[in-house]
Amino acid sequence: MPAPLKYGVSLYSYTDDFGSVMGLEECFDHVAGTGATGIEILGETHVRGYPAPDAAWVDRWFQLLEQHRLEPTNFCCWVDTTLRLGRPMTVAEGAADLERDLRLAHLLGFKSIRPKFGVISRDLIPDPIWSGASERALELAAKLDIVICPEIHSPTPLNHKVTHEYIDFIERTGTKHFGLLIDTGIFQNRPLRGWVHDVPDPDEQLQAMMRGLAVDPQELLGIAKYIVFIQAKFHHIDDALEDQNIPWETVIPALKQAGYGGYLSSEYEGQRTPWTAIDQVRRQHALMRKVEAEYDASMSVGGRP
Amino acid sequence: MMFEHQMIQATGFANHGPVGARDGVDIRLRVPNYRGMRLSLLDGVEVTLDGVKYGYETNLFEYRGQVHDLASLRAATRIHWSMDEPGIVRVPLKGGLAPGVHEVHVVARVRSPYFPPELQPLPVHATRKATLILP
Repeated sequence: MPAPLKYGVSLYSYTDDFGSVMGLEECFDHVAGTGATGIEILGETHVRGYPAPDAAWVDRWFQLLEQHRLEPTNFCCWVDTTLRLGRPMTVAEGAADLERDLRLAHLLGFKSIRPKFGVISRDLIPDPIWSGASERALELAAKLDIVICPEIHSPTPLNHKVTHEYIDFIERTGTKHFGLLIDTGIFQNRPLRGWVHDVPDPDEQLQAMMRGLAVDPQELLGIAKYIVFIQAKFHHIDDALEDQNIPWETVIPALKQAGYGGYLSSEYEGQRTPWTAIDQVRRQHALMRKVEAEYDASMSVGGRP
Repeated sequence: MMFEHQMIQATGFANHGPVGARDGVDIRLRVPNYRGMRLSLLDGVEVTLDGVKYGYETNLFEYRGQVHDLASLRAATRIHWSMDEPGIVRVPLKGGLAPGVHEVHVVARVRSPYFPPELQPLPVHATRKATLILP
């Protein structure tokens, strides 16, 4: 029997609701209410006083984890390479940003950080400082035992220069503290209805992104050993528990065949009317667990996926 | 603090400056992003009041009691706009607005370094009717 998947929720799911109709305590309640065991946060969003929360906030964080029996999973952060207009970010500045977030993630008990590096092109090639900055931060990452995992996110597919360069970096350095985070938006194979981001005059690339990249989930098998974390991106699940965009019925079996036993962390990115996200996340957990159970049942009777 | 769901807040919509010598209109905003961000990533805020547009180059922005013009915002690489704190965009408008309900449209220009360079800054729009109470 393949390893069971772990289920978590990213508080990104509750964007706009967080800070208006719910605070951190309500977020914990909704996450725990799905039966999840892990919680993912965005440092700049959910840590009051980022990047240096006061002791009272940190104490409360650990109380909430214990009360709801949740473990910290992944900590999202940014390396804002165009923070300064007029001059690019240096490798040393990029490394300092990574180290800032490694320390905070460690303080709060996280196992990985997801840095989002600034990009230099339409097809989202990261600023070349990512490599030098990450290499400098590896020593601290190893000391704190936190994995740095940039994300593979639409419109970047798995088989792409960006993914290959991250893998080359892992092979070249031999590090255990750098890996890949996969955003399941790359498997989207039906168009989005409406678009949550306000983009002027969507061009062909953006329209393709809205239709979906439709990456074949079987491609996960070749890169499984580099995958640290999955952000289970989704947009809408209907009353019949059918996801309108993401094919979980092929994504989850591929993850299990690949031997992945880590987290599927809900990342709802759909209608932002108040309180919509809470039930959408619950629907996704019901759906993902159902698909995993069906896969496991098919294996236990000697069936083949 | 907790906010209304949308970017433009009802509370905080007010004339600015001494009574009888108003010099602007204030609009309170929540962070126009899903993450807190350094102020230098906010490349000004354009405002339209009852159909009249006021450019992002001349509007001011107040955060934690400090007032920034566009150049000051662009240089504010160490000030973090936190999700639980409001920002105030100030439209320089001599005499202010009359009390009553006004149509307010805001375009916050947000630079997101992980989006393609040609999409920078990304305009984040919001519109509402808002009530101004004191002349």
